[in-house]
Amino acid sequence: MFAELFSTFYQFADVFAFLILSAAGLAIVFGMMGVINMAHGEFIMCGAYVTVGLVHAGVPLPLAQACATIAAGLIGVVVEVLIVRKLYKRPLDTLLATWGLSLIVTQGLLILLGSSIPGIGTPEGSFTVGPYTFSTYRLVLFACAIGVLAAIYVIFMRTRFGVMARATMQNAAMAQALGVKVGGVYAASFGLGAALAGLCGALYAPTMTLIPTMGATFVVESFVTVVVGGANVLLGTAPAGVLLATVRMLLNANYGQIIGQIGMLVAVILIIRVLPEGISGLLVRRGR
Amino acid sequence: MLRTLKLVNGQQTTGNGKGFWLCFLAVLAAALVYPAFADSYDVGNFCYFLIWVFMALGLSLMWGYGGMLSFGQTFFFGIAGYSYGVLAINFGGGSLTWLALVLAVGIAMVAAIVLGYFMIWGRVGGVFFGIVTLSATLVLAFFLGQTAGPEWRIGPARLNGFNGMKGMDPLTLTWGDEDIFFEGTLLYYLVVALIVLVYLGLRILVNSRFGNVVVAVREDPQRAELLGYDVRKYQLATFAIGSGLAGLSGVLYTSWGQFITPSSVGLPAAAMPIVWVAFSGRSDLTATLVGSFLLLFGFQTLTIYSQQLALVLMGALLLATVMLAPQGFVIGLARLIGRQLGALRAKGRTDGALPDAPAREA
Amino acid sequence: MPILETRQVSKRFGGLTAVSDVDLSIEPGEIHCLIGPNGAGKSTLFKLIVGTYPPSGGEIRFRDGDITQAKPFARVQRGMSIKMQAPSVFKELRTRQNLHIALQQKFHRQALVDEEERLLALLDLTAHADKAAGLLSHGQQQWLEIGMALALGPELLLLDEPTAGMSPEETFKTGELIKGLNATGMTVLVVEHDMAFIRQIAQRVTVLHLGKVFARGAIDEIVNDPGVIEIYLGKGHGREH
Repeated sequence: MFAELFSTFYQFADVFAFLILSAAGLAIVFGMMGVINMAHGEFIMCGAYVTVGLVHAGVPLPLAQACATIAAGLIGVVVEVLIVRKLYKRPLDTLLATWGLSLIVTQGLLILLGSSIPGIGTPEGSFTVGPYTFSTYRLVLFACAIGVLAAIYVIFMRTRFGVMARATMQNAAMAQALGVKVGGVYAASFGLGAALAGLCGALYAPTMTLIPTMGATFVVESFVTVVVGGANVLLGTAPAGVLLATVRMLLNANYGQIIGQIGMLVAVILIIRVLPEGISGLLVRRGR
Repeated sequence: MLRTLKLVNGQQTTGNGKGFWLCFLAVLAAALVYPAFADSYDVGNFCYFLIWVFMALGLSLMWGYGGMLSFGQTFFFGIAGYSYGVLAINFGGGSLTWLALVLAVGIAMVAAIVLGYFMIWGRVGGVFFGIVTLSATLVLAFFLGQTAGPEWRIGPARLNGFNGMKGMDPLTLTWGDEDIFFEGTLLYYLVVALIVLVYLGLRILVNSRFGNVVVAVREDPQRAELLGYDVRKYQLATFAIGSGLAGLSGVLYTSWGQFITPSSVGLPAAAMPIVWVAFSGRSDLTATLVGSFLLLFGFQTLTIYSQQLALVLMGALLLATVMLAPQGFVIGLARLIGRQLGALRAKGRTDGALPDAPAREA
Repeated sequence: MPILETRQVSKRFGGLTAVSDVDLSIEPGEIHCLIGPNGAGKSTLFKLIVGTYPPSGGEIRFRDGDITQAKPFARVQRGMSIKMQAPSVFKELRTRQNLHIALQQKFHRQALVDEEERLLALLDLTAHADKAAGLLSHGQQQWLEIGMALALGPELLLLDEPTAGMSPEETFKTGELIKGLNATGMTVLVVEHDMAFIRQIAQRVTVLHLGKVFARGAIDEIVNDPGVIEIYLGKGHGREH
């Protein structure tokens, strides 16, 4: 009985971690700036490539993952300064510009690096509960997802940057008038979002085939989590992850991956009919 | 009837003068005689570019006129393309392929109405409209890619996973015992005729009562509602028509090559209509028609050397459009030329009066 | 029988009650003004009548039908015309086209063209007919919006602060325009706090205070009512002067 329960939890945790890790960065950028970063998948890919490259160069995996996260974050800041900043107040144009960037990066890398590079293999380690065997690394991913949520909470609720960021989120013009450097907050938020995307790629790098178009594997999950979660990353993303992971897990277990993904999409479409501003929109309205 | 036809010129379209229509006729005449001077391979290629134009015009209608940025054009392209394949195979070809065409476009429109209902009645707009439609597109591509097994069949039609579906008849007319297949030059003429029909039809539509409301909704949906229009119905109708045109492209594409694969649905294919329409000038049908054709032509020429390079260029074009000419390059150029011509004409007048015609009349 | 009636209408936002058990009735053919100091609930009541949001309680009836839950477009189709407080015209479209989009609800072909010219002349906008509406002056945009509301040929015209941001001359002209329309039989409900303007046009007045009906009656009674003067003077009378 315990083994079955644990197995169910394990499957839930696996999907939940994937949703949260792939969506967290996108959700922060959307929540702060009202913008969807269409190159989000490419930041994930960047994290994965840097990780694998460093591991091949002899760097230990956790250190390589940390470096990859930072690298993606720095590139994010550069993209914000060069492109996104020029398009404030034009959220749809930002979507298009970052999509153009995504095309350039994926196809450019296909030319430069070829279709796939050798991977590094999932860290070994497994444990058994009753008759079932589980991969330890999958649980590490779940712990990381929880860690990311906790870190976002701490950053936004407990730091000076968080105060400025929340003020900017509420009312950018007012925050500016009160002396918040809104441009800096946006650059930092975009960088943070990119870094979280990089972390996602770094964490999943050992489990995947590395191809320049691998970002596409994550975008559907990240999009739907943000759509369901809404604009407030603190209130929306985690519940959205729980909700969608539950739907996905149940469908995956009973009908397989294809139906799992289609079912999740259908669930999202049904949810937006009733909750146009996502879960956080509902919670904020309730709280008023 | 005549009154309806007159709407081919109006506020919502660029190019309403005699000069414009003379150019239009000249281009049409050139398109009609082209097969007489070109070899059949080139005619086939030309036909291939034209097939995608419907999808671009549909996006221009939804995005440029209606303010709904759909990333799902290839979703409906795929639905209709696959539907045509399944139906044509199940019908066994012959003249019934025309029924397959109509039904396939119909299925794409029904899909658009269902998806559109949930988004529009749920008041999903702006960036979410884009990413929900793109999510649907990517999930469809993922699904189609997983259908390699023999259990994924509808009647005798196998979906075939990544390799794609093949073996459907092209559009066919059965005349007595003889089958006339719409391939090569014949298909080319069909597509040209359809483009003229759709282009003129859309011009009439956007200049009509319906088009006025669609544009008003783009400008300010709340205001439009206070004029007594049920904004949601107009948005849904626009979405259905625009998506149906993507479906028409899908059917013609499947008939043209007698195959369709999931890669024509997923990334990077889904980005292409956005690039064409953004680059051309989403707010104008003519600019979209001309610009999309030029881009497809250029893209195909480059693809022969390197598909990746062509795609990098498309990405760069999208980025450059947004940063440098958010309204689109082709329309920008057309307006510039229009203004220059206007200034020249004004110079020619003895009274030297400046033309006060707004830029749109170019 | 009243053309528009609210029965015990309330609206709460969280813990705040913005409108509380308001009974309002507008008789056909009158110009009715809804006044009150800032925060009295005028705009909220207006939005309930228009259908921006549903009331928390009570019933709204228009031309003897229940419209409490009807969407704004359905109310307009029944014969209301609405001009909200913030001017909102279709900025990128021409002045003429703005009117056209409203006119095409009721008029067709030649009648539409004639009506368009008549309204342009009535609103003094003929010279600006082919300008983008966003380029019109603030006052002209307000008139254009009134024109769009008129273009629907309404039974009842609802105006929320139609003279906000207008010069005294423009305000007076607007008042004369409204009186002229009323003379042709149109019922008008105006939300305002410019007392001079109200004196110019009003026949009957309802005064809201703290979300409730404070007083109602003919304009002459209201402006001399000590209670009304009290709430106005007590609550920042200076705003409109």
